[in-house]
Order: sequence, then C-alpha cells, then structure tokens
Amino acid sequence: MTQTIAEGLVETGHGGLIAQDWNALTFRVNREAYRSAEVFQAERERIWGHSWLYLGHETEIPKKNDYKVRTLGGKPLIFVRGGDGVVRAFLNSCPHRGTVVCRDESGNARNFQCFYHAWTFNSSGKLSALPGDDAYAELDRFKGSMDLRPVAKLDIHEGFVFVSFDPDVPPLLEHLGEAADVLSMAAEQSATGMTTLPGIQRYGVKGNWKLAVENAMDGYHFSPTHNTFVGYLRETGFAVTDDDQYAYDLGNGHSMLVLTGHNGRLGMLWEPRFGEAEKARTEANRKAMAQRLGQERADTIGDASRILFVWPNLLFFDLEALTIRQLEPVAPGRTDVRAWQYVPTDEDDEARAMRLKTMTSFVGPGGLATPDDIEAYEAVQRGIEASKGDSRGFNDWSDMSRGMEREAKGEKGRSIDEGAMRSFWRHWDQSLGKVPGVTATSYEGGNE
Amino acid sequence: MSAPTVTVTREQAEDFLYQEAMLLDEWHLDAWLALFEEGGTFEVPTTDYQGWDRTGGGFFVLDDWDLLKARVKRLKSRKAHAENPHSRTHRMVTNVRVIRGKDGIELKANFLINRFRDHTHHTYVGRYHHDVALNEDGELKFLHRRAYLEHELLEPGARLSFIL
Repeated sequence: MTQTIAEGLVETGHGGLIAQDWNALTFRVNREAYRSAEVFQAERERIWGHSWLYLGHETEIPKKNDYKVRTLGGKPLIFVRGGDGVVRAFLNSCPHRGTVVCRDESGNARNFQCFYHAWTFNSSGKLSALPGDDAYAELDRFKGSMDLRPVAKLDIHEGFVFVSFDPDVPPLLEHLGEAADVLSMAAEQSATGMTTLPGIQRYGVKGNWKLAVENAMDGYHFSPTHNTFVGYLRETGFAVTDDDQYAYDLGNGHSMLVLTGHNGRLGMLWEPRFGEAEKARTEANRKAMAQRLGQERADTIGDASRILFVWPNLLFFDLEALTIRQLEPVAPGRTDVRAWQYVPTDEDDEARAMRLKTMTSFVGPGGLATPDDIEAYEAVQRGIEASKGDSRGFNDWSDMSRGMEREAKGEKGRSIDEGAMRSFWRHWDQSLGKVPGVTATSYEGGNE
Repeated sequence: MSAPTVTVTREQAEDFLYQEAMLLDEWHLDAWLALFEEGGTFEVPTTDYQGWDRTGGGFFVLDDWDLLKARVKRLKSRKAHAENPHSRTHRMVTNVRVIRGKDGIELKANFLINRFRDHTHHTYVGRYHHDVALNEDGELKFLHRRAYLEHELLEPGARLSFIL
C-alpha cells in the first residue's frame, strides 16, 4: 500500500526530521538526526551554545582553590572554587593568545600560570602577574581587561552546578522547572547532605548522544537488553516487573521515568540481595526521613526509583543507588560520558561498600548491564548506515510510536512506552529549527 | 607455633598468570573462575584511581564472590549482548614479581591486552596486583584479583565487557 501524508501529520518543526502523525498514531525520527555533521554542528551552536548545561557538582571542589578541568560542548573549562570560596567556571584559554591555561585534570592551586608567556591568574580568575608589563600602554586598564574569561552564566541548584555560554538564558530554576524538585528529592535523602565521590567513570561511546538519552528514557528495552542482569536480580530474590511504572514529560526538554518494580534502593527499599544489616538500616533511615521531612515527602522520595533527564546533558539515576551521568557529544557518532557516584555523607563503611558494589554491578562500562546499553546504541549507530539515502520512504526513519494511542487519549504514559523519547525529540526539534543542507528522506511514498 | 613459611617462585607465578591469560583468551570462563578461592573478589578501579578502598570511590568492576559468579554466568550467556559475539583478546603478561607481605603473597605484573571486535581494535594497558594463596594441593588461587588501568579514560568503544 502506498502511504501518503495523513491529514493529521503535524509539522513539529522546521527541519523535517520528525514525522508525527496523530491520525495514524505514529512518531518517527529521520536517521540523519544521528548521522549528519550539519545536524551535529547545528546542535553545538543552537543547543549547546544556548542552553543551561550541567557542569559538575559543588562537592567535587569542596576546598578553596580546588579545581577540575572539564569540556562542555567542545569548550575546555576550568571549574574552580576561588580563594574566596565562590564556585566559578572559566574558559580554559589564556586571554593573551588562547593557550590552555590549566593542563592538569584536577588539583588545588592558588594560581594558574600559562606556561607559554607566564601570565598568571589567581583561582578567582584575576590576572595577577604579567612578565615584562612595562611594554603595555595604560597598564592598569590593560591588565584589568585580561582576567580569565568566565562562562556567561553560572548557577547552582542543590549543589548541582550549571553553566551557559549564552548570557540571555532564562534563570536556572525557570529552566529546570519540575526537574528542580527531582534533584531536591535526591539531595534530601540524607540529613547530613549528599556528596560526589572521586572515581569518575570516564568512557567514550561510538554512538550519537541522543541515543544515550533515548536509552535512559526507554523502559521498553530493559527486559530484552538486560536479560542477564534481570536473571541475576531474580536469582537474588527480587521479582522484576514493569507494572505501575510511568514516564513524565517535565517540560523544557526534561523527562523522567518513575519506576517501582525495577529493583530495590539502598536505604530506601530493601531487597534480599542487600542482606539483613541493610534491612535494619533501611527501616531506621525511612523512620528518620519521615520525622525530618514529614511522612508524605519521605514516602514520595523513598518509594520509587527515578531516572531523570535534564536537557540536554544530565542524566540522573536515582535507582538502587544514585549516579550522576554527563553527556558530552564529540562527533555525530561519538559521545564522551562521565559518571559520578552520589552518596549520603553520613554513611558508615559497611553501607558505603554495599552501595558502591551494588551501583558498580549495574552501571558503568564494566557493569553487568550498562555494557549492553552501550552495545545497543553503538549497534544503532552502525545499523542506521544501512538506510542512508534510501529513497523508499519509510526506510530511513526510526519508529517511536509505542504508546502513542495512550498519549492521544491523554492517558498517563507507561515507562515501557516511548512517550519520554517523543517529548525529548519534540523539544529537540523545537530547539534546533531547520538545519541548512539537511534533507530527510521523504516520509511519504514508501511501503510500510 | 608459627605458620610454615610458604614460598612461591617467580616461575610458579608466571605459569599461573600465563595459564590464566590463556584461559581468558580462549573464553574458558569456568576454568578461569576455578582459579579463585571461594569468596574471592575482582576489582577494576576507575582511570583516575588515587588508591581508595572499596568504600572510597568509583570502580568499573567491584565484584564480590556472588557478583563474580554472576559475571561469569552472564558472559557465558548468548544474552550478554555486549560480548555476543565474543571479543577476540590477546594478552601479554610481563614484569612478574612475587612479593611476600605480612598478609600473604602478592603477585604483581604488567599486562597488555589487545581486543578486537566489530572490526575495531583496542589496547588495554595496566598492572595486575593480586593477593593469592597456595591451597592444600599446592595450587595458587586468587583471593583478591585487581586490574589497574594506566589509561586516562576508556576511549570510545573500549568498554570493559570482557574480563580485564
């Protein structure tokens, strides 16, 4: 049967890379979105250049003069707590000639000295020394204009530090919207506060960054992809289920899965593999949380796992344990990932060891589950070459229609639907607009 | 009465590590698991490792005995998608040293693992640092097996879905 564009087909955007049909209840993404260098460049400029981006957590630089270097949207940055205790982010580039000023990954330094001409900046970014300064006219004015360049915006929510290269972004809390409270719920899990641990899982993936977002927002893949991990959970006495699990569009590109049958949560929901000591700790912890936060808030925080996506580069996993994951697109088919453990500061050694073991068993490139996710999006990136340039209509489109009928009726989206992916793509389409030089294979005219 | 002095020669240590490398390269995972004392552990810290213990920071692999058995079981399944088909690996183990500490015998060595999969090649460079024991039959067994990577990060595609 020859398919023509149905009346209900909505031009969701301007690039023609998304085809959303409310009559046929289909939602498709053209695969150029994952492959095209033009799309990647447009994303760099229009998304990475104009959104709030997750930089890091305050607890990574707890002491004065602590710093980390980090690349966001391809831009090398210094993330530093100044001698005055203030958290800042600077372009890691000398205002003089552009040299990378700080070439160590991390450390504690009162000053950053550019090795090329020995210009020296203090940890608050101020140019403090400039050799041979007698050759500059109006020296004070000149020196005053040569401090390290800060990012355009920096703001912090619950210790999560976000930056933007665009001075005109809306306030951070406005951008975060409903996602802000999900981060708060994580931060409230300990009376003494939460912290990141050293030991960042840093790894690259041969896949487009959007595949990593899709994968996290996709409950449908859990059972088949993680068959071996689900088997391990079952053997340790936990019944995995997809029932009563939902996906939410939080607006502004953010989305979230709320999971109850995925697995237990340390300190929150006990399961047999955590052992008897953890059972007692969990009971005591839940009681203390209820006293501290009120029963209702404590239950909301404690009863469900959450996977939160904060547009465009933060994935926050509040599962058996808590993980912060940051995405850094490097090329259309390449993404760098950094992941931190986010833990209660007051945990005893036994509980902490259990937490790290449990977390590591699942997440990360050496876990029992994440490698299969990575395999999945790397396999997509390889596989979508097959339909590149295919003129037979539907062939070059990926399908994300699952649960669209429920969505059309206004029903709550299931975690095993693809609604959270659709809301991501709608926001992507809106943010990106039309990309010059990119044409999607026509949606019509092919065989379905 | 003090415990008898246990001596392990470098030759014994080399034979043990070479045999292990062969078992892993040929994917004889049950035989590999049998190189552990029951209750043994396996660790691979992250590439920014600063010497923390199992409570101090991030790891890529932090297996206790149950997880180690689960890892082997998983890798033998065709549903271990990240290793189906299996990677081809080729291991070189060198610079083997036997260190008799107060807590027992440590084996240290350098490793270089070439891995081939999906028509790509990755090289893993690092150090082994294993706590081992001699059992009643005079066989070396792993108590705590540790692989430390020298890498700054895992480059794209270089995930640790096989045994390092």
